[in-house]
Amino acid sequence: MIYELFIAPLTETYFQKALLGGSMVAVVAGVVGCLVVLRRMAFLGDALSHAMIAGVAGGYLVMKMLFGFEAHAPGMLLGSLLAAVTTVALISFVSRISRVKEDAAIGIMYTGIFALGVVAVSIFRHYIHIDLMHFIMGDILGVADSDLWVSAFVSAFVLTVLILFFRHFQLTTFDPIMAASIGLPVLLIDYVLTTCVSLVVVSAVSMVGVILVVGLLITPAATAYLLCDRLDKMMALAALFGVTSVVGGLYLCVWLDSAGGGAIMLFCTLQFLAVLVVAPKYGLLARWLRLRNQVPQQIVEDVLTTILRNNKQASMETIKHYVEDGVALNRAIRQMIQDGLLRDRQNVYELTGKGEQEAAKVLRAHRLWEAYLKSIGTPQEQLHPTAHRLEHIGGGTVEYLDEKLGQPEQDPHGRDIPRE
Amino acid sequence: MATDSPYAIEVEHLTVSYHARAALLDVSVRIERDQLIGVIGPNGAGKSTFIKAILGFIKPDVGSVTINGQDVQKAKGKVAYVPQRGSVDWDFPVTVREVALMGRYQRIPWYASPSAADRDAARDALAMVRMEEFADRQIGELSGGQQQRVFLARALAQGSDILLLDEPFAGVDAATERAILEVLERAKKAGKTLVVVHHDLVTAAEYFDKLILIKQRMYAYGEPRAVLREDLLSKVYEGRLRIFGTVFKEKTA
Repeated sequence: MIYELFIAPLTETYFQKALLGGSMVAVVAGVVGCLVVLRRMAFLGDALSHAMIAGVAGGYLVMKMLFGFEAHAPGMLLGSLLAAVTTVALISFVSRISRVKEDAAIGIMYTGIFALGVVAVSIFRHYIHIDLMHFIMGDILGVADSDLWVSAFVSAFVLTVLILFFRHFQLTTFDPIMAASIGLPVLLIDYVLTTCVSLVVVSAVSMVGVILVVGLLITPAATAYLLCDRLDKMMALAALFGVTSVVGGLYLCVWLDSAGGGAIMLFCTLQFLAVLVVAPKYGLLARWLRLRNQVPQQIVEDVLTTILRNNKQASMETIKHYVEDGVALNRAIRQMIQDGLLRDRQNVYELTGKGEQEAAKVLRAHRLWEAYLKSIGTPQEQLHPTAHRLEHIGGGTVEYLDEKLGQPEQDPHGRDIPRE
Repeated sequence: MATDSPYAIEVEHLTVSYHARAALLDVSVRIERDQLIGVIGPNGAGKSTFIKAILGFIKPDVGSVTINGQDVQKAKGKVAYVPQRGSVDWDFPVTVREVALMGRYQRIPWYASPSAADRDAARDALAMVRMEEFADRQIGELSGGQQQRVFLARALAQGSDILLLDEPFAGVDAATERAILEVLERAKKAGKTLVVVHHDLVTAAEYFDKLILIKQRMYAYGEPRAVLREDLLSKVYEGRLRIFGTVFKEKTA
């Protein structure tokens, strides 16, 4: 059973090739994808992959017309690279010289060049034998040896560049102004990165197709982003997630007898969603727990003033009488004992010196608010509840009220306002 | 640094334009060493263009910028830059230690890894701004003042004599403002020249040795009392002067 599921596919040549080629591409896509994600260039990856079709058609045509080669792979690769770089240049040109912003410029240029490619392929359909569907959907189960070689070279080259110039890419991504100020060739580094992205995209398209390639570029990187606080670790993890996506996706595709590229991206996305939920620091679960464990300041302050009004000690019943009851209340009291605001004397809670100070502060805010509300003509019966809500506002409001009211001694009920 | 020029920064007849509109017009100023200088002026007055010119990013239409007697284009890294807090991606996966280390990147050859000396310099810089204990934090987990200090540490680690700070006091509370100012004062005592873009006229006189007042052109450079004059400010800030009543009150007090 386990043999059937896991080992049997490994004995098939097509599966081995898919695994090898896919993993190579996924590693480098993950690593370079980190920079793409951090630079917010995700849309650019999409643009590059679409522009490729024009490049492939052009490369095919030129090689066939000039040299008579049929489906010359290096020619098509060079064509795609050229198309990718042209697209990038056109995008930055349009967004620089016109009022059209970059995102719109990307949208215009990549669809335009994609359209050019589609038209070219259909016009020259008697000369060019390109399967558009293959191009759009990819065919990881039909990876040819030449594709493997291309992926191997591309991966090795791009990885070498990224590792050698890691600091340069890090700094130009994080703070391009400082990078330029210490004399780094920021523009050149941008172009090198774009070229690396193009190379990765070009070698990945034959496997997962035009539409999904951007996912392979950014999803593993984004997954790693949720787990890391350092770029080098993020890159390593992104590479790992890329490989697990390919492995998981390929098994999925064999078991379900589905399309290869689709299965890989589906697995990749599920992986992202799983991490999004459970990531220890930036995950949804962690966020939810943090919010849950947060003791609302309002409850703390309400408990403090309740005990203060009750001659500095109060039982749980008394507190519950004045403060909104719930899990938060119990947690708040535990937290306050921990913070040294309260003492627990057999279920009677007593203010410590520090607690008394804090309570006096809140009481002062409350009574100042009441005095203020009275001065602006708030009806008597609304004084207390409104002040009760407003007493928790921080940031110098209390000082302001005190000054504005001329440092009153007593609140409207004739009780003393505690001094600082 | 021993150079023949007595000035840290010399700007001569600097004119910069974008799309036929002058951002800076005939700005000349000579900034002496070991000073804490404030750059003031209304929004859109060309303060950021002025900074970019001192960093050597802009090819001026006319004029020149000289750093320590050397043309700005040949003085890369001689001016350390502390960005505005709003322009930094605080979610970037980078720790406090790594940011400080970036100050040393210029000295590290591209094929080498940061040496022990580089790491020491980064640590010393963090110690100077009292941020050592946060070295392993991701930068987004810090308070506003701490974030500002990390970037100050990076600038100090760079070892430049001239520091350029873009609105370091924007969006921090009064206590933090004091803490940052204290670090600036110490850097000044350590022989740095600091040029600080500042927006608060009320505190400008108190914080800085000298002020630069610009709005496209140079309106004044000198001691705060000579720059914060009603006639000058009313020209530069036009109708918005009303709110500066306190500036003059404090000065006469």
